[in-house]
Amino acid sequence: MKPLTIQAPAALAAVLLMAAAGQAQEAEETTGIPVTDQLVIDTCVRCHAVDDDGMMTRVSYMRKTPEGWQQSIRRMVTLNEVELEPEIARDIVRYLSDHHGIAPEELRPARFEVERRLIDWSYEASHEGDEDVDRVCSSCHSMGRVVTQRRTREEWDLLMATHRGYYPLSDTQGFRRFGPPAPDATDTRHPMDKAVAELSGKFPLTTAEWSSWSATMRPPRLAGTWALKGHDPGRGPIYGTVEITEDADAANFTTRVRYGYARTGEQVEREGRAIVYTGYQWRGRSFVGGDEDTSLREVMMVERGWNEINGRWFAGAYDEFGPDVTLLRADGPVVLGLHPVALRSGDSGTVTVHGVNLPTGLGAADLDLGPGVEVVSVTRSDSEVVAAQVTASGDAAAGARDVFLAGRPVPGQLTVYETVDRILVTPEAGMSRLGGGAFPKGYAQFEATAYSNGPDGEPETDDDLDLGFVDVEWSMEEYSAVFDDDDIGYVGTLGADGLFDPALDGPNPDRQGLRNNVGDVWTVATWRGPDGEEVRGRAHLIVTVPLYMRWEPWRVQMVPGVPRRTSDTGSER
Amino acid sequence: MDHLKAINQKARRIQAHVGAPVAANDGTADAPASAAASDPDALDVVGLESRQGPHIPLGCSLVFAPGWEVDSTGGTAGLCQPVERDLFDCHLACFWPAHVPDQLNHAPDWTGKCAAAQKDWRKIDLIFP
Repeated sequence: MKPLTIQAPAALAAVLLMAAAGQAQEAEETTGIPVTDQLVIDTCVRCHAVDDDGMMTRVSYMRKTPEGWQQSIRRMVTLNEVELEPEIARDIVRYLSDHHGIAPEELRPARFEVERRLIDWSYEASHEGDEDVDRVCSSCHSMGRVVTQRRTREEWDLLMATHRGYYPLSDTQGFRRFGPPAPDATDTRHPMDKAVAELSGKFPLTTAEWSSWSATMRPPRLAGTWALKGHDPGRGPIYGTVEITEDADAANFTTRVRYGYARTGEQVEREGRAIVYTGYQWRGRSFVGGDEDTSLREVMMVERGWNEINGRWFAGAYDEFGPDVTLLRADGPVVLGLHPVALRSGDSGTVTVHGVNLPTGLGAADLDLGPGVEVVSVTRSDSEVVAAQVTASGDAAAGARDVFLAGRPVPGQLTVYETVDRILVTPEAGMSRLGGGAFPKGYAQFEATAYSNGPDGEPETDDDLDLGFVDVEWSMEEYSAVFDDDDIGYVGTLGADGLFDPALDGPNPDRQGLRNNVGDVWTVATWRGPDGEEVRGRAHLIVTVPLYMRWEPWRVQMVPGVPRRTSDTGSER
Repeated sequence: MDHLKAINQKARRIQAHVGAPVAANDGTADAPASAAASDPDALDVVGLESRQGPHIPLGCSLVFAPGWEVDSTGGTAGLCQPVERDLFDCHLACFWPAHVPDQLNHAPDWTGKCAAAQKDWRKIDLIFP
């Protein structure tokens, strides 16, 4: 074997390089976050050494959401044979989320990730991100998982290495060039190199947001009565109250939730528990009467000032059900909103204003719905609801009106309109997953919103009037993707409430080529007016295959069948 | 396509096919996501058109060629079907690393209970890595 020789200049260069690397390493390490919790040190030190400054390898150089840390700990258990009691794992997640967490300003642009929303989102638009970097990561998973983390450059490098170790074929899936660089491209780096450079620049460990937040962070004081307003897709607006009680060390909370659906009057009572991580990240779970089937996970942000908490409560195998929720501290009167939000000129009807601690015994003179809308009488006035009979005059100008109740502004507006011109079905692009056999179903909930073209008579212009949630008749139409497309006969059924129930998973022997019951269809909403007029709108629905591996920190319910929805108390299903 | 005249069997088939939705859309006002009834493009087979395909929300979903949830046109017509037929290839070769368990680290025995997924697909486990 030929002996390895290094010529003197090269050797010197190598030594200098090593010294430079050492200095860089040292500088990097001083930017880490020391681990001071003995439980974390004792549990993790077997693999993660701690130096004299309290810096723990890897752990000290990253910050993540509670979900991120939970996922890491799960990976240590499943792949690295760590044995942990659940109680200890919970304490570790709490310590790391609090001390190696992310600041509210850092989480906000990516909160869809923790709130489990299927939304339109683009890394390029949201973070001025590079298209290649997006592709490296989102070939396999949401960019939301990336932008909810902060790491040192070395850590972003190690993250790539970890992926290549655990998923050797990620090199050919995501970590590759997708076509040659453009002839005039000035940046011809490999996408992985681009990714490490960009992510370490955009999402570094040390940020002004985190240093500011970690200086002020403390357990929030949330005990008391909160007013709740929200929107449950497919079911409309909800209004109610949440009583929050702190436990002795102010670290855990219990909740008593009571709300009603404005459209139907149906009342729901729930009881729950919650933890607030990093001083603002509410993570809770609530139930109706302790029934596990009615569980809703609560992911919310406590806003600075501790007067507002907002986020999403969700359930379902793919977290597809549940309302958007805002809680407002209700020390005094809080006006939350009104229902319905639109009235046709010349029509009469009931308008309800919802709130908490409202003055009682109000009369018609206390409710001001704006020009051209007369409050005929108040039929109910208690601390939470004011219901009034109102009439919009035939010549009332079309448009939205500010609303006042006993001198207080009511959030939202009452819109007077002449005609319903268009129906918008949301989500405009829905996704459902087959299930019920071996895997749980992924449902899709649609809802319809009416619009009037407004004074200019032109659709989709700035003066269009949003008339809010409307009741429609639901049906499906074939989305013709190929000749003789017949998906509509297989994919599943769309219920009268706009809930799509997908068909069974597994190969279908009745279908050509044993195809699964996958397919594309239009979900069509038909609104019928009082004079027999019809307006239709539709949305695209993809019914597709199940996921065979789930990364959420919680286990989905494996019992096939229809999950109990947000407000179900047993009477409806 | 009103200005085109079908002169062979395939063209007549296209004409017959695209004729069906005309009646369904007639006299209705659709949402912007859909084509208006008066729009001649509405008569075409949507998936074969060169115009922009259906829009898929990408925030939380996962889309990549040749596609797990959707194919390259944004629909399901081009997916490998049934999914169980090539599922184990994914498992062995880690083709959809975040969707299907891999045999290297996360679920080495995933295929243990079923020799042929097409027949034994009910025995496939859902994996929580």
